[in-house]
Amino acid sequence: MIECTHVYKRYKNGTNALYDINCSVDQGEFVYIIGPTGSGKSTLIKLLDGEETPTKGAVRVVGINVGKLRSSQVPIYRRNIGVVFQDYRLLPTKTVFENISYALEVINMKRKQIRKRTEQVMEIVGLNEKGNAFPRELSGGQQQRVAIARAIANRPKVLIADEPTGNLDPGKSDEIMELLEKINQTYGTTILMVTHDLMLVNKYRRRTIVLENGHIVADLPEGGYVRHDQ
Amino acid sequence: MISRSLKEGIRGVGRHWAMSIYSAAAVTITLFIVSLFLVLTFHLQRFTKNFESEVKISVMIGYDYEHEDVEAGIKKQIEAIDGVKSVEYKTKDEEFQFYLDQFEDERTRKLFEPFGEDNPLHDAFYVETNDGSEIQTIAGEIEKIEGVDSVNYGGQSTVDMISAMEAVRKFGAVLVIGLTILAVFLIQNTINLTIRARRDEITIMRNVGATNRFIRAPFLWEGILTGIIGSILPVGLSIYAYFLLYQKTGGILISNMFKLAPPQPYAYYLGGVLLAGGILVGLLGSLLSINKLLRWKR
Repeated sequence: MIECTHVYKRYKNGTNALYDINCSVDQGEFVYIIGPTGSGKSTLIKLLDGEETPTKGAVRVVGINVGKLRSSQVPIYRRNIGVVFQDYRLLPTKTVFENISYALEVINMKRKQIRKRTEQVMEIVGLNEKGNAFPRELSGGQQQRVAIARAIANRPKVLIADEPTGNLDPGKSDEIMELLEKINQTYGTTILMVTHDLMLVNKYRRRTIVLENGHIVADLPEGGYVRHDQ
Repeated sequence: MISRSLKEGIRGVGRHWAMSIYSAAAVTITLFIVSLFLVLTFHLQRFTKNFESEVKISVMIGYDYEHEDVEAGIKKQIEAIDGVKSVEYKTKDEEFQFYLDQFEDERTRKLFEPFGEDNPLHDAFYVETNDGSEIQTIAGEIEKIEGVDSVNYGGQSTVDMISAMEAVRKFGAVLVIGLTILAVFLIQNTINLTIRARRDEITIMRNVGATNRFIRAPFLWEGILTGIIGSILPVGLSIYAYFLLYQKTGGILISNMFKLAPPQPYAYYLGGVLLAGGILVGLLGSLLSINKLLRWKR
């Protein structure tokens, strides 16, 4: 589903962000990417969602060589992946329903289908009663649920979650983790989750890739133990 | 897709309504001046054409030239000059008759008739040119031909009038270009504001797979709508004012040489051109803004 082959990334300012990254993620896997600040996690995400291109090597997602896409092809490619951010990135002037359906509107889905699909994902994330609420009326955990609903509305094959629990207290983090596991297990969506929260990594044990200074220093199989100082 | 982007475009105009009004006002002022100069330029051209077609070069032939020489030699030489459309020959007797025919009064004609016996007039050519602005040059060329006594084309005043009309046209063009740039700039700034206000939304659109066309379309509509709003007054008033002018003057200014074009369809063409101008200015303003702020490269 995801394959990185000898991937290097050097930015124009001379910063080397990634060195010889080799990894593959199978369909339906749930993988954590952890590592300290500046380890290359964000760069890896940017390569996966097509925002950046590798300096060397190939990044393949759902069989597409992302680095070879023309700029105009990137939006179409992105319909295969959902992205969730730490800061939710919801539109404050739109309701929960509108925030979710918006993701379907921009890909020109039919109105009737948008309604049906939005209601479905609101049900999945447990917000079917909050359709008319505005983001400011929701808790952080609920806002992140809306963001997840929006990310999966188009039924992407891959869901990238960039620090999805970064702004949440432990109780809410557990709720989000349980939701992500549900999506992974029920719909077979491949999930790549970047996190700093080692408590979560140890609690919900899954394959874990550890990045440091742009290198993969460990690729721990499912259930592997990660030290709290990593 | 069009209805969504149009709706968003209308919302964009409303979101920064004060700026939108400034921009539309700039379009309005520009189009009023454009309208004035379009009417002026169009009619100057029309008048110039009428004027030029009326103006002919009179070429007087020296007394010592025989008719055969004139026909065979001078006419051919005149015809060979670039820009000459037609050459008409009149003998001095024909000239005299033409002169007499100008008098409606029989007594006056009788008074002048005796001069025909010792006709003081010249054999002459009347030369029509393809382009009125070349009259002076062609007259100069004809003057050099052997056997030509004198050349007359209405003199410097003809050339001065044509070049004065040209100057007015050029000044108008410069003013219109300057104002158009100002209007485009104002529209660009208004749309810049909308894009900045919607930056978060645009980022989200990109994240969820919206194409560039989808993201850009509402901003293009916003520019076009601002242009259309700005054109409403100039289009309406120009059509009304032209009909009124035509009605009040009977379509004739000063003399028959200065005839106004019939308001139907001219006034409607004018309105159409102004509306198209407004749309184009709006489109240009939004394109500049979009290309600056919404260019997305990896």
